[in-house]
Amino acid sequence: MAQTEKYVLNMGPQHPSTHGVLQVQVELDGENIVGAKPVMGYLHRGIEKLMESRTYVQCVPFTDRLDYVSAMNNNLGFCMAVEKLAGIEVPERAEYIRVICAELNRIASHHVFIGSLTNDLGSATGMIYAFRDREKILDLFNIICGARMTAHYIRIGGVAADAQDEFLRDTQKFIDYVPEMLDEYNKLFSGNEIFQARMKKTSIITKEMALKFGMSGPNIRASGVDYDIRKIDKYGAYGKFDFDVPLGKRGDNWDRYMIRMKEIAESAKIIQQALDNMPEGPYMAKVPKVLRPPKGDAYHRVENTRGELGFYIVSDGSTKPYRVHIRRPSFVNLQALDTMCKGMLLADAVTAFATIDPLMGEVDC
Amino acid sequence: MWGKGLITGMKVTWGHWFGKKETVYYPEEKLPMTERFRGGHLAFDEEKCIGCKLCAIGCPNAALDLTVSVDENKKRHMESYVHQIGRCMYCDLCIEACPTKAISWDKNYEFASYFKEDMTYDALVEARNRRGNNE
Ligand code: SF4
Ligand code: SF4
Repeated sequence: MAQTEKYVLNMGPQHPSTHGVLQVQVELDGENIVGAKPVMGYLHRGIEKLMESRTYVQCVPFTDRLDYVSAMNNNLGFCMAVEKLAGIEVPERAEYIRVICAELNRIASHHVFIGSLTNDLGSATGMIYAFRDREKILDLFNIICGARMTAHYIRIGGVAADAQDEFLRDTQKFIDYVPEMLDEYNKLFSGNEIFQARMKKTSIITKEMALKFGMSGPNIRASGVDYDIRKIDKYGAYGKFDFDVPLGKRGDNWDRYMIRMKEIAESAKIIQQALDNMPEGPYMAKVPKVLRPPKGDAYHRVENTRGELGFYIVSDGSTKPYRVHIRRPSFVNLQALDTMCKGMLLADAVTAFATIDPLMGEVDC
Repeated sequence: MWGKGLITGMKVTWGHWFGKKETVYYPEEKLPMTERFRGGHLAFDEEKCIGCKLCAIGCPNAALDLTVSVDENKKRHMESYVHQIGRCMYCDLCIEACPTKAISWDKNYEFASYFKEDMTYDALVEARNRRGNNE
């Protein structure tokens, strides 16, 4: 037999199948992967440091740029951490609007997941379908806050502006459309034999491994660990809604995909309940013009689309945070990449990148 | 049966062949921008502005560079209102900070340019030009 030599192949940071500017050094033995090392830092903007020289209110738009496909969830995490620090009570209507926006954003983000996954597997059609539907949500955001991605809508103490009737009506329309949408996706790719063959029993992460890596979000739930911060912490208005946490069994690529499909349905369920029980009242608490939280620190975590997003803020009693640390789920989840790729074929590495769903804005921060 | 899923998928695609189009023929056809749309240049209203600079103070990225002069009656006048689009992240904080609602978005999203210099403009000059054209 011919002697083969191991060699290193660079995928990214400009490879079409790596998400954002992720570089992966794949060590290969023929076509088999021996190791995969993510290299990051291409999108580092120093957001944590930037926040130290800005007032609390000015920090919020920077959180949009962390996980830029689910900006609302980032806004929510930061604002809730500051509210905890400063002891601000958020009006009920604002809590409901926040939940609607955060869940809509979760669906939009899963659209990106589905779209890029199918695209990476060679089905550009799939991407167009997912992005068509994502556009419907971005249009909703455009109505409510005037921006499609960098929302900056959830603010410290509430939301930037009240939800208009137009927004609520169109959201209802979208929620009514969700079952039809999922049905179409299932017909289009879930049932596709090639798709299944490439997804099932590939890149398995067991329960133990997922826990050891400190993974969170849909990735850990696909491995069968019941860990959803919306259920555990019941932050904001989440305690008032009835929804299930879908779990996977095997922890393979297929489970990671199916979990997200099911989560879309669950998010739609939450939004429906929020729309039905939307209370009247103010959308913003009374927040002092110059916000000076007392000396101390606060940590708040939310269930971001990609997992546990936490903000740790230290205040020295001035108008600017002394230190902000962000616990970014994508960054932690990316640790599993090596394990997921080992022993797989090079073509499967692309699937593993897609189902782990890293977002470089969040990984690099 | 292997291949059934493929055929079902193909049916979905074919079903859309005759369906409604999701896109518009830009630039012949343009989508209207929403009421709250944040984007474009800042439309400045000289009459309303009191020269308090709250907008520039509220900006997280120092994208606004204002020059204000004070006349003999202690009245403040805006001399120039420079907006650097390259630094702006369209967060809306300047507009929300303005006590007299003197600035708003002009909602023109077609301002991509080849040169960096074109990304800096004086909103005051633009406002005066606009008024000159209207008169
Ligand atoms: S939108 Fe934000 S970044 Fe842009 S000029 Fe206004 S305050 Fe500054
Ligand atoms: S905040 Fe408004 S009134 Fe004050 S300087 Fe800016 S534009 Fe003028």
